[in-house]
Amino acid sequence: MDNQWAVTASGLAKRFGDRRVVDGVDIAVPTGAVYGVLGPNGAGKTTTLRMLLGIIEPDEGQRSLLGHAHPRDASDLVGYLPEERGLYPAMKARDAIVFMGALRGLDRATGRVRADELLEQAGLGHAADSKIRKLSKGMAQLVQLLGSVVHRPKLLVLDEPFSGLDPVNQERLEALILGERDRGATILFSTHVMAHAERLCDRLAIIAGGRRRFEGTVHDARGTLTAQVRYRPRDPERVLPELLPADAVREGADWRFPMPEQGIEPILGRLLTAGAGILNLSIERPSLHEAFVRIVGEQEMAA
Amino acid sequence: MSQTRRLIRQTMTIARRDFIATVFTPIFLLFLFAPLIMVAFSTIGALGAAQAADHGSDRVRIVAIVSDATATAFAAADRQSRTIFRRDEEPPELVTLPPARDPAAQARAAFESPDYDATAVLYGPLDRPTILYGARGQRAADYLTVLATGALSAERLGGELPKVTPRKLAFSRQRATLGGQNQTASLAVFGVFFLTLFLAGQVVGTMAEERSNKVIEVLAAAVPLEAVFLGKLLGMFGVAVLFIGFWGTVLGQVASLLPPAFAGMVGELSPAVGLPMFVMLFVAYFTMAYLLLGSVFLTIGAQASTMREIQMLSLPITIIQVGMFTLTLSGLSQPGSWLALVAEVFPLSSPFAMAGVAAASDALWPHAVALAWQALWVALFVTLGARLFRRGVLQSGSTRPFWRRKGA
Repeated sequence: MDNQWAVTASGLAKRFGDRRVVDGVDIAVPTGAVYGVLGPNGAGKTTTLRMLLGIIEPDEGQRSLLGHAHPRDASDLVGYLPEERGLYPAMKARDAIVFMGALRGLDRATGRVRADELLEQAGLGHAADSKIRKLSKGMAQLVQLLGSVVHRPKLLVLDEPFSGLDPVNQERLEALILGERDRGATILFSTHVMAHAERLCDRLAIIAGGRRRFEGTVHDARGTLTAQVRYRPRDPERVLPELLPADAVREGADWRFPMPEQGIEPILGRLLTAGAGILNLSIERPSLHEAFVRIVGEQEMAA
Repeated sequence: MSQTRRLIRQTMTIARRDFIATVFTPIFLLFLFAPLIMVAFSTIGALGAAQAADHGSDRVRIVAIVSDATATAFAAADRQSRTIFRRDEEPPELVTLPPARDPAAQARAAFESPDYDATAVLYGPLDRPTILYGARGQRAADYLTVLATGALSAERLGGELPKVTPRKLAFSRQRATLGGQNQTASLAVFGVFFLTLFLAGQVVGTMAEERSNKVIEVLAAAVPLEAVFLGKLLGMFGVAVLFIGFWGTVLGQVASLLPPAFAGMVGELSPAVGLPMFVMLFVAYFTMAYLLLGSVFLTIGAQASTMREIQMLSLPITIIQVGMFTLTLSGLSQPGSWLALVAEVFPLSSPFAMAGVAAASDALWPHAVALAWQALWVALFVTLGARLFRRGVLQSGSTRPFWRRKGA
């Protein structure tokens, strides 16, 4: 088995009762990448991640984790932040991190040293001896995140890591994720907030209705939609509808239409010749958000 | 790292966490010292009862209405006979009265005496005395008869009983007494039962903690559920061992302060396999009883989703334990019967029954077999518990139960 892929899965499926929560998902996460799993609520993201980690067994399909067919065999090389956060409330922050490291095979002495370092770096040095129940929810979440990286995993799986964090802590988390990537870890995370995915992901998969709807880079995702052209003539009187593409729509003084396949130049040529002029022209690339809404929306229309 | 070593490491990590989380809390002190409360109350009760009894018995007397010469012989017989009684079983003090003109009336009057409470009064010729006795005075009357016999013998022999000077040597028997074995067997069964009754039930609620604070997801992702279950079981077993170790040491110290008579009673415990081996087997069977019952309770408790459900479970759990205990005791009373065999083989009662067997029979191989058999069941229960938990709580199993599969 080569090391090209940190995680692979094909045809993963899971039924809960009669409902197929995950219905044949394929995923391949390249080693060293930051990989996002995007999807609306209830799309099957968490179930997919739990199957990849071996917390639950899939009904169908194959998976491999860091080259192991049984994900459990690789468990010491994996860090995981579950969607439902949970720490022992009576534990001190440092002990919680040491404990999580120990579960993954890190010896306690090393764990303690690293826990203090990590807490210091995350700006939580003062809370090392505080019990978890005394910490705010966001702080506890950061502590749990530190606990999932203390053993320096090769693969870090984060389920909705940004939810529940304020913007400052979201920034910290992004920095931490990039830091882990720079250390050489592969990061797989799920989110339904596009902004984080857009900034962080090397590749992403969009899951909706238990199926994978898209796989590729952020650029590819945005490429699934055509760019929108917004044009404002200098002399509106001279713009005749036949000069513009048939699907152009007038919005006040502006015209808006999708970028034609042959490019914008022929249209501009016709407009200039007709003397309409150009007061303003913008080509808007679609955002990941729009691409996501369209990809997911198509699925909902189909359903 | 090999699979087994990793499993052990993971199990011990969980066990360590549970042990620390249980022991380093103020509540644990309350738990640890709970027996003190029991001891305190029973001491107070015993003291009170003793005091009440002392007050009453202080003034109780046995009365002999005899001539002065006979009175001396009576006193001598009393001194001699009294030596065979334990302190608190001694008969009441002896009072001798010189006979008046009507001894019968004098005897009746003795019961009305303002100075003491007569419980039995003797009068008349020594070979045919009359003894009046009051309520609960029958034994005192017998004692007076013994004194009269002594006094009469002395009189006939010329004033004094012959003197016997014995040479007393302590001797300890090599073979276990049969009575001692039986007693030891019952004690062993009761000991294992008593300890597990109080301690194994604690396991039932331990999974609830992880379920309520969602830590289970962290644990389930990092280590196999089997390690979680076994770790919790061992962690709580550690707590139990700490508890027993603490009280064992305390009681050991107290016992060394007790009068030697009491230590002699302990010496009467004579297990067939010999005391050191018996202690080892007792520890082994307590461990097994704890792990077996604990794993069953853990499995059941892990399915409960609220504290309320767990509290409801405590009654059936106690009943199961008492059931195992009675089954074992019935088996013990008929060694070799099918009932005894059932108790020895059925996994949940096996440790109790085999602890009894260790006291009554000196063969060692059945213990090796029994321990292996019990360990197998611990493994089975833990595996089953983990599987049920994975299926029911983590929602991993999605295959429908067989009774609903048809017509799907």
